[in-house]
Amino acid sequence: MSTMKTTRDIKGVGVAIPRPDGPEKVTGRVQYVGDIKPKGLLHAKLLRSPHAHAKIVSIDTRAARALPGVRAVLTAADIPELKRKAPTRAHAVLAIDRVVFAGQPVAAVAADEPAIAEEALDLIEVEYQVLPAAVDPLESMQPGAPPVADAGTEADTSEALAHSAVAMAKSETPTKAVNVSQTSRVTRGDVAKGFAESDVVLEHTYRVPMVHQGYLEPHAVLAEWDSTGHLTLWASTQGSFNTRSEVADVLGIPENRIRVIPVECGGGFGGKIRALCEPITAVLAKVTGRPVRYVMTRREELEAGMPAPQVIIKLKTGVKRDGTLVAIDAETVIDSGAFSGAVLAVSAVFLGSMYKWPAFDLRGFEVLTHKPSVAAYRAPVAPQTIFAIESQMEQIARDLDLDPVEFRMRHLIQEGDQMVNGQPWQSNGAKQVLARIAEHPHWKSRKQWVAAGGNGKRRGVGLALGGWLGGLQPTGATVRLNPDGSLAVLTGQVDIAGTNIALAQIAASTYGVDTDLVRITTGDTDTAPVTGLSAGSKTIYTVGAAVLQAAEDARRQTFEIAAKELEASVHDLELVDGKVVVRGMPDKGITLAAIGKKGNLYMSKTPPVLGRANPAFSQQAPGFAAQLARLEVDPDTGEVTIHDFVVVQDVGKAINPIGVEGQMQGGAVQSLGMALTEGLQFDDTGRLTNPSLLDYRKLTAADLPSLETIIVEVPSPAGPFGARGVGEPPIVPAPAAIANALQDATGARLTELPLSPERIALAIARGAART
Amino acid sequence: MAKQVLSCTVNGEPVEVLVQPYATLLDALREDLGLTGPKEGCGTGDCGACTVHVDGKVVASCLMLAMQARGRQVRTIEGLGTGDTLHPLQDAFVRHGVPQCGFCIPGVLMAAAALLEENPRPSEEEIRYGIAGNLCRCTGYTRMVTAISEAADTLASQGSAR
Repeated sequence: MSTMKTTRDIKGVGVAIPRPDGPEKVTGRVQYVGDIKPKGLLHAKLLRSPHAHAKIVSIDTRAARALPGVRAVLTAADIPELKRKAPTRAHAVLAIDRVVFAGQPVAAVAADEPAIAEEALDLIEVEYQVLPAAVDPLESMQPGAPPVADAGTEADTSEALAHSAVAMAKSETPTKAVNVSQTSRVTRGDVAKGFAESDVVLEHTYRVPMVHQGYLEPHAVLAEWDSTGHLTLWASTQGSFNTRSEVADVLGIPENRIRVIPVECGGGFGGKIRALCEPITAVLAKVTGRPVRYVMTRREELEAGMPAPQVIIKLKTGVKRDGTLVAIDAETVIDSGAFSGAVLAVSAVFLGSMYKWPAFDLRGFEVLTHKPSVAAYRAPVAPQTIFAIESQMEQIARDLDLDPVEFRMRHLIQEGDQMVNGQPWQSNGAKQVLARIAEHPHWKSRKQWVAAGGNGKRRGVGLALGGWLGGLQPTGATVRLNPDGSLAVLTGQVDIAGTNIALAQIAASTYGVDTDLVRITTGDTDTAPVTGLSAGSKTIYTVGAAVLQAAEDARRQTFEIAAKELEASVHDLELVDGKVVVRGMPDKGITLAAIGKKGNLYMSKTPPVLGRANPAFSQQAPGFAAQLARLEVDPDTGEVTIHDFVVVQDVGKAINPIGVEGQMQGGAVQSLGMALTEGLQFDDTGRLTNPSLLDYRKLTAADLPSLETIIVEVPSPAGPFGARGVGEPPIVPAPAAIANALQDATGARLTELPLSPERIALAIARGAART
Repeated sequence: MAKQVLSCTVNGEPVEVLVQPYATLLDALREDLGLTGPKEGCGTGDCGACTVHVDGKVVASCLMLAMQARGRQVRTIEGLGTGDTLHPLQDAFVRHGVPQCGFCIPGVLMAAAALLEENPRPSEEEIRYGIAGNLCRCTGYTRMVTAISEAADTLASQGSAR
């Protein structure tokens, strides 16, 4: 992609510029959905099923309706638009006849105050007939398991398409198991023969529980209808256009009657892509004729949010004694909860094609259970998959007494190698990040550091490599020249992490002005060009490309106007310090302000500069990260202390190093949380046993050291200024890196997350008992 | 239930407001006084997003009844800076690009401010413990610790200049 040259250094791409809305965020002035309080606001609450699987025999709402201050009480019977065979979680607005997970909404209340709405919930009487629940995904796959979906419900593959953009043939042999909603299988070569010819065959089953994305702001939405039948939603969403489409589909409203205003989003990480509470809030607002706000409680988030799936990977590898890879066989079971929508392809791609396996047989199963349905969580299924393959690679190296980095490097893919789905790997920095981390003093001095430990603690050093293929989605942007020579950039991009400043920098460098002169706005679905999700590590890669093209367009228009005014050829013009001048004749020029004014004057014949772009994309830009941990374990308690943690990542080009490092650090800590403490725990009846942030433990500042970040820049061929997606890769490697460090420290290979003190201490004790 | 009169000082200003007897301090601040800087991330005192100062001490305002603040000094994020001037902590958070989604930030800043008032030159470990009651999901805490440490230096040099 061409980037226009400017004649002096522009304060733009590559400069560390703090986000301009920082002061709004540190003063508490920035408004989230829960902070918006229109006149006449009503508060919504949902009555949720206490049972994972039950028939609804009857619902009596009379007492709740009679409570003063209650404005509406709804059950599924009151909403004719609802479909019995809900194809997605969003469609299951309120349960019809049957609940399929504990926490599923069965009735909704809108009242003058939250406390009144809550009291009304207590007055609703629901008679349930409790049914057997399928909780464990492996049992749920068996014939005779209690069915989750209504017969004839179609699998939902939109998440896979939207998020991972990995084409994968569906399995030709559909399974007959009642709760298996999607399958996939990719094979090459003769796996059985491969294992027979292998010197070392290693088999492990890796387990990762459901984990919650953990955004600090729970799901929230405010809905209001005007008197002409138009709905406005103020939403905490990662994609306003997607929210609009889903709400339109669920409630049967034309999209041009819905306006979604993306309010400041207090974190999403994949959990705020799909619609969840928007449809019911819209219905309550319609029924009451008042604005209605719904904010989920933390308990509701944990019990009935859309977490990452439980993933079980049964992995078998065969290698020769010299480390030659021969065959890999894996069965990945993804517990999607009560509704289909998990991503299957990512597991097969990273299991089978991060390293070059000549023969593979990789099977994937999406299984439904009576648990909350899942959604994306930052690099969906990649950390779980990398936990399996990077643990296995490490152990193979150890078993064969090979250097773990050299062993990986020998088999690591590069550009042009085939993925398991037959597509070629695009240019990527996998080898560069692995090489960079292997040069790190913490890795080179690992034996000395381990030996220097004491106090009865055991030390270990481990690393892992992981990545993300990079998402794609069509998107749009406009760049306007203001009458004072400044620029206005408009997209619909929801800015959570600080992407808007990076987009402004792209516009600045492309057009040829300093970033201070660029104002960027996130529009809503009525005002902004169609814009994709803030997800899949694709904001800078795709929206950045749209902004770049729109800025090029605006610059071209600007030069055409200047050429006319200066009676010169556009090819002889350059932009210097806010003035378009004829090259070599600095006095012959016209300022951007003059051009901007001409486009804004009454009776002027000069068109206003309006650069626009609406690209679609086909070439992904994979991003890889390598992480290294130095840790200490107390063998009696299993307690882990992380001394150092290093994140090396190929970002293509760091458009704004502040934002890039923020992503690397934040992603790594989410990855460490998955490794060490996090997991939704369900009892045998499908009820969550840790529904609070006291029991669902996330890492705090006191649990962690300061993280070291090392940026590697292997330019992507198609990204703006060579940039790649940055958000996803850093959440991928830590579970494997920590497990590998723990093996280094204790000799024990742990295969189930989280790597809790209990599991570690037991593994050490078992190891001691064997020797 | 009849509402009760809560009179206390909020960000240096005396206030009198009618609140429900069951209302939390967080509810009273957000719903009755329009101070929406403190956030509710959990409602059970586990996340720290609602952190404010009551008589100079860190309090999870979601766990305190509004009426318990009667006659006391309450300080929220809205009262951390003065007028248009950012507090050195806020300034350091902006310059280091700490806020991402920003939802935890008001609570983290109030916890950090209380820490620095009690311990003007904390070590990295003391800073980490000082904000251990505040969950952040975006930043990984690294830049927060750097910014707090830098703000401590700024405050100390301001103090010695006086």
